[in-house]
Amino acid sequence: MVELLRVAWAIAAKDVLLEFRSRTAFVSALVFTALVLAIFNFARDPTAVSALDLAPGILWITFTFAAMLGLNRAFGLERENRALDGLLLSPASRTAIYLGKVLANLVFVGSVEAIALPLFALFFNVPVLPVLGPMVLVIALATLGFVAVGTLMSSMAVNTRLAELMLPVLLLPFLVPPVTSAVQITARLFAGRPFSEVGAWLRLLVGYDIIFVAACILFFESTIEE
Amino acid sequence: MTPIESAERALRRSAVWILVSLLLLAGVYVRALVFTPAEMVQGLAQKIFYIHAPSAWVAFLAFGIVGVTSIVYLLLKDPRADLFAASSAEVGMVFTTEVLITGPIWGKTIWGTWWTWDARLTLTLFLWFVMLAYLVLRSAVHEPGQRARYSAVLGILGALLVPFIHVSVYLFRTLHPLPVVLKPGRPTLPGSMLVTLVCAFLTFTLFFGALLWHRYALARLTDARAHADAERADA
Amino acid sequence: MPETGGFMVAAYVAAAVIYLSYAAYLLGKSRQKKR
Repeated sequence: MVELLRVAWAIAAKDVLLEFRSRTAFVSALVFTALVLAIFNFARDPTAVSALDLAPGILWITFTFAAMLGLNRAFGLERENRALDGLLLSPASRTAIYLGKVLANLVFVGSVEAIALPLFALFFNVPVLPVLGPMVLVIALATLGFVAVGTLMSSMAVNTRLAELMLPVLLLPFLVPPVTSAVQITARLFAGRPFSEVGAWLRLLVGYDIIFVAACILFFESTIEE
Repeated sequence: MTPIESAERALRRSAVWILVSLLLLAGVYVRALVFTPAEMVQGLAQKIFYIHAPSAWVAFLAFGIVGVTSIVYLLLKDPRADLFAASSAEVGMVFTTEVLITGPIWGKTIWGTWWTWDARLTLTLFLWFVMLAYLVLRSAVHEPGQRARYSAVLGILGALLVPFIHVSVYLFRTLHPLPVVLKPGRPTLPGSMLVTLVCAFLTFTLFFGALLWHRYALARLTDARAHADAERADA
Repeated sequence: MPETGGFMVAAYVAAAVIYLSYAAYLLGKSRQKKR
């Protein structure tokens, strides 16, 4: 078990280091965030539509898109020079490879989220600080959910010709439960509703994470065996 | 009997059953449109129910078959399971599309708009997206073994997704009730209407079965031909 | 009773078109394959 985690960590570290060196996907995600903020700000009439109504949805669109950018790049790295074969020939177990990839993607998406959230709080003037704890929890749970499934999907999509197009097609339906829950919970948190009101959505989110992370670990092997 | 001969015989037999079910479908049409009384509150549009509900049942049945045969494939690695799953997905897609077309047409008369995020229709919409993803993925992967594995994984994950989408929509709806003018729901049907509905369910199921059988036979034939060609090329 | 006959016809016709088209497509494809 410890060996598994150690190997996963090593794979994740390699990926994060590579991404940090080129930074293209990361910068794209941040640029998109800024764009979304600016457009929605100019698109609405502040007297007619309150920021609180729009902010949760926009926040999660941004996070999801950042995840897509990261996921596209996830196995793309290995596709060049057939580096994936080298990884598979190594003694690393398939599960370790999967967990390592998920971890690297979580670091990527998490970094974008860490920057985007304060920007949103600032530009939309939404009260994030009072609910920061629950917000971080919700963001972590939802991100884990769609990154876990997204990593699996991208391991398949990368082997098709139109990989960047295939990933959203495969992933979209699977985003509905975690992102819907996240948006609903975020909306209630921003509105200052008590945390107890989000119980049902939270249970849905946790249930989704448990089932799908387990399923993805189970099925990852089938997507890369030769 | 060689695989090719077996597939060709299945094609002939299932073609007959397709034609039989089309005739029965025409019978259902006549019965529903002419010989079943109209419902007073919704008017004639309520009759859409007789082709909408059975299609929905078939759509979910087809999807369930995809899920189960995908599990069978991953466990046994039998390519026939993969071909069966793919056939069910394709045929199921047709019925799911029908549900998504007749649903909004009926909905317009009940809800006043073409679409609301109604629980069942929304679930069907995402079912449609998953089936589309499944079929698109298959068309994008050429190596048969890889295609079968990928499809199986997507099929099983898709089946797992269904209850979660259901709960998501249900939670959303209980907190945001629909502007429902009339509730279609499950009315207690008077005798004549119930008979029509049961006939429709049976006919649609038969139609699905015949189409599935035929599509599967076609897949087997294509596969067997490809193998025979490959063997001849090697020789 | 509200006048919703047009919707009924539209739905029934749409369904028939979908099912007949697919059946025809499938049967046509297998006939082609048998050659």
